Amino acid sequence: MLKKWGILLLAVVFLTACSASNGSSGDGEYPSKNIEIVAPASPGGGWDLTARSVQKILKDNELVANNINVINKPGGGGEVGWSYLSTKDSHYLAVNSSLVLTNNLLGQSKLTHKDFTPLATLATEWQAIAVSVDSPYESVNDLFEQIKKDPKSIKIGVGPGLGNDDHLAFVQATGMKGVNAKDLNFLVYDGGGGDVVTALLGNHVDVVTTSLSEVKEQHLAGKLKILSVSSEERLEELEDVPTLQEEGLDMVFPHWRGIMGPPNMTEAEIQYWDEKLGEMVESEEWATLLENNDWDTFYQNSSETKQFMDEQEKLYKDLIDKSGLIQ
Amino acid sequence: MKIVKVGMPVLMILISVTFLISSFAIPKANLGNPNGPLYFPIGLSVLMLILSLIYLFNELKTMDGSYEKIKDLFDKKTLARIGVTIILGIIYSLIFETVGFLISTILFLGLLLFYLNGRKKWLVNIAVTAGFSFITWYGFSQLLGVSLP
Amino acid sequence: MEGFLEGFLTAIQPINILWIVLGGFLGTVVGMLPGLGPATAVAVLIPVTFGMDPTSAIILMAAIYYGAMYGGSRSSILLNTPGDGSAIAATFDGYPMAKKGQAGQAMAISAVASFIGGVLATIGFVFLAKPLASFALKFGPAEYFLLMLLTLSAIVSLSIGKMIKGFIAMSIGLLLSTIGIDPQTGIHRFTMGVPHLSEGIDFLIVIIGVYAVGEVFYNFLTINKEKKGPKDGGDSMGKIWFTKEQWKRSKWPMLRSAPLGFIIGVLPGAGGSIASMISYSTEKQISKKPEEFGKGAVEGLAAPESANNAASVGAMIPLLTMGIPGSGTTAVMLGALIMLGVRPGPMLFENDPVMVWGLINSMFIGNIALVIINVLLVGLLVKVLKTPAKVLYPLIIMLAFIGTYTLSYSTVDFYLLLLFGVIGLLMKVMDFPIAPLVLALIVGTDMEQNFRMALTSSNGSFSIFFSSWITVVLIILTVLSLFYPLLIKLFKKKKNDHTIAS
Repeated sequence: MLKKWGILLLAVVFLTACSASNGSSGDGEYPSKNIEIVAPASPGGGWDLTARSVQKILKDNELVANNINVINKPGGGGEVGWSYLSTKDSHYLAVNSSLVLTNNLLGQSKLTHKDFTPLATLATEWQAIAVSVDSPYESVNDLFEQIKKDPKSIKIGVGPGLGNDDHLAFVQATGMKGVNAKDLNFLVYDGGGGDVVTALLGNHVDVVTTSLSEVKEQHLAGKLKILSVSSEERLEELEDVPTLQEEGLDMVFPHWRGIMGPPNMTEAEIQYWDEKLGEMVESEEWATLLENNDWDTFYQNSSETKQFMDEQEKLYKDLIDKSGLIQ
Repeated sequence: MKIVKVGMPVLMILISVTFLISSFAIPKANLGNPNGPLYFPIGLSVLMLILSLIYLFNELKTMDGSYEKIKDLFDKKTLARIGVTIILGIIYSLIFETVGFLISTILFLGLLLFYLNGRKKWLVNIAVTAGFSFITWYGFSQLLGVSLP
Repeated sequence: MEGFLEGFLTAIQPINILWIVLGGFLGTVVGMLPGLGPATAVAVLIPVTFGMDPTSAIILMAAIYYGAMYGGSRSSILLNTPGDGSAIAATFDGYPMAKKGQAGQAMAISAVASFIGGVLATIGFVFLAKPLASFALKFGPAEYFLLMLLTLSAIVSLSIGKMIKGFIAMSIGLLLSTIGIDPQTGIHRFTMGVPHLSEGIDFLIVIIGVYAVGEVFYNFLTINKEKKGPKDGGDSMGKIWFTKEQWKRSKWPMLRSAPLGFIIGVLPGAGGSIASMISYSTEKQISKKPEEFGKGAVEGLAAPESANNAASVGAMIPLLTMGIPGSGTTAVMLGALIMLGVRPGPMLFENDPVMVWGLINSMFIGNIALVIINVLLVGLLVKVLKTPAKVLYPLIIMLAFIGTYTLSYSTVDFYLLLLFGVIGLLMKVMDFPIAPLVLALIVGTDMEQNFRMALTSSNGSFSIFFSSWITVVLIILTVLSLFYPLLIKLFKKKKNDHTIAS
């Protein structure tokens, strides 16, 4: 009996220690209450981790005095969380990525980036194209030649759904070699039954297009080979892997993540976040976070992000039109 | 009661037909096999239709079987209990996000307890409502970090 | 192997023991609650692990994971409401045991079964991690499709005497699983323009609706007939330890189910639901008294409990050896580890042996701690049954709502919950088996997608389903599981004919 209560007591102490409960003090104008960061996904995913990292670094470095909470609103590829944000006041922010553009372009959402206030682009991952170690293809050019010759002969692993950056980056790259995107033979791994990397390691597909972090360790261990990366320059630790540009494909494809607020934020509020987030990305913790995740710094402030989003929208519209995803 | 016994297979037949018809309304795919998304739903609806028909005949053959459970279900009191729970549940869903977790839960749980457990045990009802609403609120939102409205 | 000792010393550091016990306890608690599962529990602890030593962090997260497997069956046994897919099989015989007044014994045996599953799987981990990881790679779309098919046939075959109803329930589950965006083509199916439906119906909502809410509705039928509450067995539920006879019956099933669950757990995407279901139906089919299954046979509870815990250990293998998460929970763990600067993958065993061996050793300690915690909790938990039904039911409904809310933070799901509650009620009244519906929904999407991927990669030729020895074995098992009941019937008939003739 005693033991049981002891365990219970410990658990209570432990849990109370965990719960981030602390008083907030907001004086003056903005922010006047708790800040809520919406992660439009379930706990544990990329958006959730971004939101929680921003929360933690802003708090730990005392950049923001108010309490910061993370709210998970998963569903519809971000749609649920973002439409929630669109009805809130300026104390609510949300993490985003290219899906905020593509959802609309794919007809899955009425909202676009114009319905929000872009605050910053924070970081980016790079895309990678990888094949198995014993693959006959030594470069993306070899591979794309074969795809051009006989598109059905190359099975391309992609996940978890079409229309994402993994898919569209490959569409853009092959498009530059004159391959019709509708001919590409994609196998879509949506999570159950393993993912693209297991599929490649088990030789169930011929090539995968995915985020660099998914395949980097395997490449370093010699279990598969990355043919090319979508960054501007060769990356640290992967000096042997050429960029797409070096391979004669004039493209750089970031898989970016950013943060935005509801519509109608005031200049002063935007100014506030430009300052705070600008400081945050300079911090040491942020650098560690980027390194751990194999992300690259990609900070752009609010006005730069706005322009960037417009450019990206044009690019994605073109890619989706080519991809054959919509009628 | 015989109607009910046949009603279930008929309901199943209707469901499978609905799925079958809406399967044909699924747009053709631009990528891969254009009919790819259709095969599974159509195959399954047809399978279910066939099974439901067999089920219907089986039920018709055994019309004299026991109806005890069905009788229990159509007892007025049972229907009232289920109905009240569902209606309270719908109201709960409607007010959950506007008035917040604590108030809506106290209302929902309290009303349900008073309805089921009877007014005579008001003290138990109130204690349980207050206690559990608070414990769950504290446990979920404070300890487990689930953001509740 | 020298890493083993060092890992052991790491695992027995007081701070790590503390994390093991706390993680295990927290896992047990979230496992018991509907909707909340280990994935959520690990996710909410991510901010806490930020400041921790990575080894302690993974020890804590793993303890939550297998702790939840211990806890998951509690509500299955007591209330016929599994908290998660992997606890469904525990309702088949656990709940009937509780009804017979053996709730305490059921919980004790399931804790011991989980312990045996966990420990055997951990031993398996030590020796077989690498070969099994490469075995798992052999599973392509065709193999996955057939594994899902085997699971479904295993479960439908359980509904002897009401096969048609079992198949109907299965087809409804499979049809429901097609709702949402079709991954292979991006086409929306049956979403009716509701964005909330584009990702499909979460099977956990269906589990909570059909089991928890449906069970409460169903009990409304008889709430007044049994004045003392639904399953008040008087003092007989007081026993919190199982009998020698029960141990004897479940000993071998537990030992057999552990390796089975372990291997299925290693396959990415398969996991505890499939492991527990296949082990249950296997035990039923090889049992000498299959007629007792579903009526409170103790081995019918022990086997799946051992299997699902073994599966949770197995699921750590692809995570640690390849950096590939095999389940929702390990996906969250991967995210958390990356934040800490640890990248699980082919080089983890070489680069960080202390961490891997620390984790393995912590799993031994954790399972010991958990069996103690859970056996101690039995006495407390049986009191749930003493709660008057009319107070208990509103509480279950409330917990069902909150559990559903934590899945997607949306009240749209509440309506689905009520709808599935009514469906569950109708199925129970009309004597439909429920497990085929839920299991079909869980595996349905993967089954269809893998089927189509297999055909795409073979350019439409069905020969791919016979192309490897794994597919052939799976097909044989599927046929066996479907026709075994028939064979038994034939066999018995012959026997009967014999006796009549003689």
